[in-house]
Amino acid sequence: MSDHVSPVSLYLAIFGALMVLTGVTVGAAYVDLGPFNFAAAMLIAGFKASLVVWYFMHVKYQSHLTKLTVATGLFFLTILLGMSLIDYVSRDDFSGQRPQPVGPDAVIEPARPH
Amino acid sequence: MSDAVAHADHGHAHAAHHPALQHHFDTMRQQKEAAVIGMWLFLLTEILFFGGLFVAYMIYRVWYFDAFAEASRRLSIFWGGLNTAVLIGSSLTMALAVRAAQTNNRKWTVNWLVLTMLLGCVFLGAKVIEYEDKFANYEVPGSSYNWLYHEQHAAAGGDHSEAGAAAEGHRELSLTPAQLQNTTQIYFSLYFTMTGLHALHMIIGVGLMLVITRMAWKGKFDAEYFTPVELSGLYWHFVDIVWIFLFPLLYLVERP
Repeated sequence: MSDHVSPVSLYLAIFGALMVLTGVTVGAAYVDLGPFNFAAAMLIAGFKASLVVWYFMHVKYQSHLTKLTVATGLFFLTILLGMSLIDYVSRDDFSGQRPQPVGPDAVIEPARPH
Repeated sequence: MSDAVAHADHGHAHAAHHPALQHHFDTMRQQKEAAVIGMWLFLLTEILFFGGLFVAYMIYRVWYFDAFAEASRRLSIFWGGLNTAVLIGSSLTMALAVRAAQTNNRKWTVNWLVLTMLLGCVFLGAKVIEYEDKFANYEVPGSSYNWLYHEQHAAAGGDHSEAGAAAEGHRELSLTPAQLQNTTQIYFSLYFTMTGLHALHMIIGVGLMLVITRMAWKGKFDAEYFTPVELSGLYWHFVDIVWIFLFPLLYLVERP
């Protein structure tokens, strides 16, 4: 069977890259980038995940059908995350829509009888 | 009659076939590809399974960012980072186990699988230490949850240096301590649900590998047939990927 066998050096290189990127994630978290802290963290995590999927999970060497199957998963995950967030974040007066947290000493007014 | 013909034909063709080849596949390659696609379809359901929790996390994080930032500082980057390294290491050993199976190396297939299981257990052990710390500090959501306990404990001369640093205000918070008491519980509920579900997957993964290691030990695999090793590898790498996202989302919301 003509199954692709990756060299050990490739696996070690991917492992090294994943470890370095983990360090970069922690380091980046300590730099104040404003809203870009989150973007940076997710970008790095996404890149790490791609390395794992492509090389460790051998998707690079699989058929187009398998690649399409993997892409389908990402597509639906994007819909799940993206559309849910678009809904919540794009509402009018977003912060006003937020359920207001109450303290333990909060008094809930009973409904007034007619 | 056609059954008999098919059966005779099957019997005739069988001699040249690998013993692991099921009769409804033409070649080992075709059989393996079907198994790999099947595994990926299962992983897609897993992606969306975790995806629902990620959506819940995202919405509550946007709503109560300050609570998430404050609560996230209660987690230890040391343990989280160590576990990330351990899990990435276990992904490497898993990939090497699959490679050993591909190259007909029975001894190292077993060795790498055992090492992968050990690293998985190290991860779970570290998780136990982290969970224990959360119980000790009343940070488990429920009736005994006490957001202020940790700070009071640290102020009273406790040894939690990270907690002490977190107690000093970084900026004006939009939530009062009483509100933090409620909203940080949402963070910890998600923390325990997501890491708990992840840990459950790890336990299942170690269980799977026990079976696969035994099969490898008994010499069930060769360069032609190692599908169970490959599929366990896909599962293990998937669990690794979930953690790759959980680590920054739970431990690194806002640092220092």
